[in-house]
Amino acid sequence: MRVLRLHVNGDCAEVAAPEHWTLLEVLRYKLGLTGSKQGCDKGDCGACTVLIDGVPTLACLSLAATVEGKQITTIEGLVPAHRAAGGEGVDPVQNAFDKTGALQCGFCQPGMILSAKALLAKNPNPSLKEIQESLAGNLCRCTGYTQIYEAVVLAAKGDLA
Amino acid sequence: MAARDQHGSEAPWDQGFRVIGKENRKVDGMAKATGEAIYTDDIQLPGMLHAKMLRSPHAHARILSIDTSKAEALPGVIGVLVGAELPVRYGVIPWTPDETALAVDKVRFIGDEVAAVAALDEDTANAAIRLIEVEYEILESILDAEKALITPEPPIHEDRKRRDNISKHVELEFGDVEAQVSSADIVVEEDYSFHSTTHAAMEPHCAVAVANSDGRLTLWSSTQITHYVHRALARVLQLDPARIRVIQPCLGGGFGGKSDPFSLEFVVAQLAIKTGRPVKMLWTREEVFYAHRGRHPMKMHYRTTAKADGTITGVDAKLLIDGGAYSSFGLVTTYYSGQLLTGPYDFPNYRFDSTRVFTNRPPNGPKRGHGSVQPRFAFEVQLDEIAQRLNIDPIEIRRRNFLGAHTETVNGQRITSNGFLECLQEVEAASDWKARHGKLPHGRGIGVAGSMYISGTNYPVYPNKMPQAGVQLKIDRSGLVTVFTGGNDIGQGSNSMVAYLVAEELGIQPSHIKVIAADTDLCPVDLGAYSSRVTFMVGNAAIDAARKLRHKLVEAVAVAWDVAQKDVRFMDGTVVDLSAAARSMTHVEAFHLAEEMFDTLGSTGAYNTPTLGGDYRGGTIGSAPAYSFTAHVAEVEVDTETGRITVHKVWAAHDCGRALNPMIVRGQIEGSTYMGAAEVVLESHDLNRFGLHAGPSLLDYRIPTAVDTPELAARIIESIDPEGPFGAKEAGEGPLHSTIPAIANAVFDAVGIRLRHLPFTPAKVLAALRAKEEQA
Amino acid sequence: MLRLPKFEVKNPATVEEAVAMMMEIHGEARFLAGGTDLNPNMKHGLFTPERIVALGGIEEMFGVGFDESGNARIGAMVTLAQVEQHPDLRRAFPALCQAAKLVSSPQLRNMGTLGGNVMLDTRCQWYNQTYFWRNALGYCLKKDGSKCHVIEGGSKCVAAASNDTAPALMTLNAELEFATTSGRVRMPLADLWQADGIWNKKIPHTDLLVALHVPKPAAGSRGAYGKLRDRGSIDFPLFGIAVRLDFAADGSISDAALCAVALQARPWPLKKAAELLIGTHPGQASFNDAVEKVAMLAAKQCRPMPNIPGDHEYRHLMVPVYTRRTLHAAAAGEGPVHHI
Repeated sequence: MRVLRLHVNGDCAEVAAPEHWTLLEVLRYKLGLTGSKQGCDKGDCGACTVLIDGVPTLACLSLAATVEGKQITTIEGLVPAHRAAGGEGVDPVQNAFDKTGALQCGFCQPGMILSAKALLAKNPNPSLKEIQESLAGNLCRCTGYTQIYEAVVLAAKGDLA
Repeated sequence: MAARDQHGSEAPWDQGFRVIGKENRKVDGMAKATGEAIYTDDIQLPGMLHAKMLRSPHAHARILSIDTSKAEALPGVIGVLVGAELPVRYGVIPWTPDETALAVDKVRFIGDEVAAVAALDEDTANAAIRLIEVEYEILESILDAEKALITPEPPIHEDRKRRDNISKHVELEFGDVEAQVSSADIVVEEDYSFHSTTHAAMEPHCAVAVANSDGRLTLWSSTQITHYVHRALARVLQLDPARIRVIQPCLGGGFGGKSDPFSLEFVVAQLAIKTGRPVKMLWTREEVFYAHRGRHPMKMHYRTTAKADGTITGVDAKLLIDGGAYSSFGLVTTYYSGQLLTGPYDFPNYRFDSTRVFTNRPPNGPKRGHGSVQPRFAFEVQLDEIAQRLNIDPIEIRRRNFLGAHTETVNGQRITSNGFLECLQEVEAASDWKARHGKLPHGRGIGVAGSMYISGTNYPVYPNKMPQAGVQLKIDRSGLVTVFTGGNDIGQGSNSMVAYLVAEELGIQPSHIKVIAADTDLCPVDLGAYSSRVTFMVGNAAIDAARKLRHKLVEAVAVAWDVAQKDVRFMDGTVVDLSAAARSMTHVEAFHLAEEMFDTLGSTGAYNTPTLGGDYRGGTIGSAPAYSFTAHVAEVEVDTETGRITVHKVWAAHDCGRALNPMIVRGQIEGSTYMGAAEVVLESHDLNRFGLHAGPSLLDYRIPTAVDTPELAARIIESIDPEGPFGAKEAGEGPLHSTIPAIANAVFDAVGIRLRHLPFTPAKVLAALRAKEEQA
Repeated sequence: MLRLPKFEVKNPATVEEAVAMMMEIHGEARFLAGGTDLNPNMKHGLFTPERIVALGGIEEMFGVGFDESGNARIGAMVTLAQVEQHPDLRRAFPALCQAAKLVSSPQLRNMGTLGGNVMLDTRCQWYNQTYFWRNALGYCLKKDGSKCHVIEGGSKCVAAASNDTAPALMTLNAELEFATTSGRVRMPLADLWQADGIWNKKIPHTDLLVALHVPKPAAGSRGAYGKLRDRGSIDFPLFGIAVRLDFAADGSISDAALCAVALQARPWPLKKAAELLIGTHPGQASFNDAVEKVAMLAAKQCRPMPNIPGDHEYRHLMVPVYTRRTLHAAAAGEGPVHHI
């Protein structure tokens, strides 16, 4: 057991956790940030994707004891960051996913949305191929991905009436 | 009774649809996009224990003894459970209760549940599991359906009336198929097979139970069938069902994989009772693969007779269905494998002989398109071959055999609306079929297939005459309408659907509707999310409830304004007086008037199917109040050097009746098509030579990523159904069926090989290409 | 959720500290780089170390640099995504960057390191499974058991090297810099391997790979990587082949190297086959003829076994196909060869 200082969604959280716990377990079961999902146990599905220093990373394969000092963004962090930046409502990428119907069961979507966020931060106007390649580590079983692409394109356009 | 009222398919306020048919947002979309939505494993309760399962390492064995003493002695272990403590059998189909919460005397596949431990944390529970000592007597295992058919000993289930390994046998004949053989211009007879595939919903199964000190038990479970779980819990735990509450939290996908009562639900409940503490069990992905209930592997033999003009004269089918270790929905599967093939084409004569056997494999059950995806694959490939041999265009042969609307199938199923011809026309035009079929360069091809599927079933699993779906509405003085429905939203959007229907019927905005679903304490019964029944049945019940309320609201306003009721119109939350244009009020004011007039306001609605089905044993199984229809064209490329099939694009036209929300319907068509395509070229739920799942993980069971998914062009065809809610039918399962044979037929167009045995691995493609070269 | 075994985590700041932390306990310790291989393996109970020495804080192990002669030094902790996207590496070592791009999924490339990919544990369908699963069939030669399920009766583990970047680095004559208790050791990558699926390296796991040194390529050198797998993402190779072609001033091939992976315990250099290419001219019949011969020879030398998932006979059929296609891609300055 070790007291970890984790920078999650802009906050510094001090959390006592056994050293063999993954970041996903600490986020979900110690910090109550259950938006990051667990689908496959071991890095095959992408549902636990979080951003570490802006980079899509699998929380289920990251030890919490190795990410101190890094900026961790989970799905719960997007709305507060959006509001802090003067925005209203939800983050535009989240909004776009809702608007295009990309959210069926929703289980893969926190990870998917964070992968999309990272893509758009790097490449504000991605091609379909770039979208597909960037999301190729996030499995979705409901949508056939089509409405997810539409969401990313919509978020890129910023046309979210 | 009100439940059988027909609500009509037109807009309720004579002003066109205001909500229905629009691309409204889903009621839970934002909660899912932000991570606020609570799924079962997101529930954490004070003092909660974590439970783990001990599973059988043997495919077939008798349990001689279980010693849990070492596990119990491990510090941190709070409760241990073995099968003898919960010996009552259950099964989702009440006629075939052959499962127990934990194995009592035998294990029947590798992964079968044997014992469970609840501990302070997961690590302790895992350690304790390894300390349980089980003595097994290993029995001969049967891993192959053909072997099961001819091997009565040892019976996998021993105390049934029949002492063999046949789970269910159905043989039905309509007309006289043999008589057609001599008079036919063409007879095509071939073997086909469909392999094992699974649902792989992204959320693993999870259940949490609390047993309160007042004797009430609450179970949260990732289930598609809250009501059946409720019944099964009462039966197995031998508790008064009135003291059990089952809640389905937000569900991370089902596809039929959460449609049975599962071991973990009984186990956490019993452990919660035993320990007096909340208990959670979350299955690993590996455990989900063992729980399975996936698509039944089938070996199928079809013989179709036809005239020279392509008219089908008879279809004769013999099917061998691998049921795996338990019955699950198998009785229904066996019927569905034959009963659901009799459209969209007219079969004048039809016979099927379906046998489901038990094997020592993870149990099979209902996967999206339950029981009918496999025969559809076989038949549509056979029909393509008939067209080819008769030199008839494959779309044309499907047109010529069209069954028609408002008719009856050879096996007595009532067909109402039928948009199949429009589906065919749509994909024919969209794919530029006439210019491209048979004319693309070698290696590239397009293929077509059609299908139909049930919109609900009038077979209610356990016999009763009560409604299949109920909905209750509650009016609040704030203007909020709360809808209580037993319907299970599994991601398909049924809660949103209910909100749209109630908003439309009441003339208010969907934002003023709140849906409370799938909580047995709060919501009227619905039978669950299976057989594509929710839109049709819960939808009709919602309209029924809303219409009753609407009459009261209109009456109250009419009295207050002293106008005729026909002059009161609710529109987007505003009530207008059609006789005096200037007068209006908000719907909130109308609610107040109605509450003054009628007291506290609410309503209930229900739906039950009309009497349906042929007058013979099993005639009601597969008879639906409406059927959806589908046609797909798939475009593939075959790399003749590697054998790899790339599915480039699928045009998927689906007749869903009225599209209540086209955005959601498209999502269902796209998701179904994607899933079907994956079954052809990627996915296989394989066992190795030990009977152990070859790769129970999402690494080795390869569901498509974004770069593996074909371009999906969903087309909605709206044949307004007279009995569907505002004319709607299902969209969640039907569109999977056509995908698979369309791809098979496209491969034939591309390289001239008929693939009849799924999956189409590159190795099989290469072998077929070589065989063709050798023939030439 | 599958759980990790109980261990302590050490976060050293220097290579020397890391090596010392590895050695100072009696029980097993493991280095953790990106965690994309070790963590799933630990969740499967394949490793149960008491201590994890996490390498993320060691500055020396990061960064890509070139010396004045043009030789590259790539820190072992440089991620596969960084390798894939590095403009100078892409120019100099196309096969390596193509191979890095085809490793697993975007997230795993963001996490997984080049050093980690080189040091990847061998893989087998009978081994990369949970404790329950392995227990159900009585374990295997590689872990906890005495039987091989790949070759019944076999006494030597044939788990497969499955690291995409290893064959590319082999064709590039890369060298590895290890930190050991007795100081730094540099060795050619080609000398690292041994034909033992249980541990396919000649150094102990307590030696720390610090950096990779890749010599400057010959002027006009080209390369490509070909990867057979089922999906366009996530999957390990079912067969992989890397190619390097150097050219003389007249456009003929002056040197060539081929190396395959996902066969047996070690990456498999195809030296004799590569020699057939020397002196031939891409674009001319001599090259095409040589490519056909190389493909046939590769098929003779590369014998996929039923160790990793997938039909091994089919994988064998694909050896000449992917060899041929990758050679043509390399000659054309293209690649990777991959079905998507």
